[in-house]
Amino acid sequence: MRQFIGKIKSWWYLVKQLTQVEIIGMYKKSFLGMAWMFILPILAVIIWVVLNGAGVVNPGETDIPYPAYVLLSTSIWGFFLEAYKSTSNLLTKNGRMLIMSEVPLEPLLMQKVVVHLINFIIPFAVNLIVLLAFGVRFSAMALLFPVSLIPLLLLGMAIGMVVAIFRVIMVDVANLVDEGMKLLMFLTPIVYTPKITASWLGVIVDYNPLTYLIGFSRDLLTSGTLFSPVEYLVFSGVSLVLVVLSFRFLVKSSTMVLERLINN
Amino acid sequence: MSDILLEVDELSKKFCRRLKRSLYYGITDIARQAVGKPVSTALRPEEFWAVKEVSFKVSPGEIISVVGANGSGKTTMMRMIAGIYKPTKGAINYPVPLKVTPVFALNVGLRNEFTGLENIKLKAAIFGMTEAELKRKLDFIIDFSELEYALATPVGNYSSGMRARLSYSVAIATEPDLFIIDEALAVGDSLFKTKCYEHLGEYVQEKERAVLYVTNRIRKVMALANRVLVMRGGRLLQDSRDATAALEYYINDIVGDKMTDDLKEMKLKKIRHFEM
Repeated sequence: MRQFIGKIKSWWYLVKQLTQVEIIGMYKKSFLGMAWMFILPILAVIIWVVLNGAGVVNPGETDIPYPAYVLLSTSIWGFFLEAYKSTSNLLTKNGRMLIMSEVPLEPLLMQKVVVHLINFIIPFAVNLIVLLAFGVRFSAMALLFPVSLIPLLLLGMAIGMVVAIFRVIMVDVANLVDEGMKLLMFLTPIVYTPKITASWLGVIVDYNPLTYLIGFSRDLLTSGTLFSPVEYLVFSGVSLVLVVLSFRFLVKSSTMVLERLINN
Repeated sequence: MSDILLEVDELSKKFCRRLKRSLYYGITDIARQAVGKPVSTALRPEEFWAVKEVSFKVSPGEIISVVGANGSGKTTMMRMIAGIYKPTKGAINYPVPLKVTPVFALNVGLRNEFTGLENIKLKAAIFGMTEAELKRKLDFIIDFSELEYALATPVGNYSSGMRARLSYSVAIATEPDLFIIDEALAVGDSLFKTKCYEHLGEYVQEKERAVLYVTNRIRKVMALANRVLVMRGGRLLQDSRDATAALEYYINDIVGDKMTDDLKEMKLKKIRHFEM
């Protein structure tokens, strides 16, 4: 841990530069530029409002208006998914740099986290305004919301770091996990509520860690209540352990993997 | 005062010829390592030695040229020295901690849609500089690269020589004790190249420093090297402080078979009567 922080400190300028380049580069050739950060979440809201109005979707009972519920849930899910995606592409995306220079993994990993947070915060701020418009009111507990997201970040990174290795030496596994993530979204109460009792799905939802990691953050924000705090704490602990193990696996295996990274 | 900067001892590295099998070996090696079992150091089917039992020492003031035909193991060896590849066998020792800057591809990390100045910052960060360090060295980089007039231009509009000059200038500004250069030494037009040669010559004299570079160009060896390593098939065949003799050996005994007599004669002439 101390080593990790030391490396980040001495390579902080790289983290900063790569973050700037990535964020600015994303919108550099677009005419609307940074406005896309606002347009996309607004579009997402509109789609759900329309679908809900047409009666296409029939969710369980929700405490807050359904579109607001889905909007919030999908953005928390997105927070997890993007943490996975960006870390799982760590070696393949940065392959050339890793083979051609002596840049270590830690600053690249850190940079992914920083970019991920920036990419999350702006659309999420838009979502909060929309939630207010839907009549959702936040309590003081909502201030803990950002902290409550940390386990989701860790879990996404833990899975991502292992998949990053497989993306180089056994892409089959990486593809399977990528597809599995899409399925996982429907096995997690995001477009429906955790109160669902429908046979087999209900069982999966009960054992799915994301039910608790996402549900806890969501309820903290909207009602200020604690959703299954014991399960949340247990799975948070598991995420922390997993991220440490995954990181060690990534660092130990990376040299063996990099010499096989020939598609750069 | 130390008289050895780098010690390369019986260094070997194996690779696999077939992609699928290489990936398969990768999976088994990682699995073995994960459960704490030793990873195989013997050749398995389809594997070969890219570098085989190479040993040498580097002293301050040396500018060493590594010469060899394509596939002779030069780059693999350099990557091991730079710590990017892990040796299969053997060891790399730095008796005193050194600042090592390896350059394998000058353009790596450059972003075409960003300006020259932005890319200098990015490149400096990739070479491990801090913001304060870059601030101190920015003038030197701009001055050395001779690109002041193009700092606000996107690098995508640079010529390849300009891009190389930018990257090379940042690399040299890191002030490495050991500078590892793979096919990227002395870039740009002939004036700039001459400046690089002169600069490197003075550079290794200023402090306890050394340069290790890969090239196949007679000119680049003759202009700069005070020691030449000749490699073939992963082995170090000659280690000489006489650049002319080493290159003659290289042309006559290593690549000579594949050349016409005329070409061979021409190359030997170029070596024997070299002028800057």
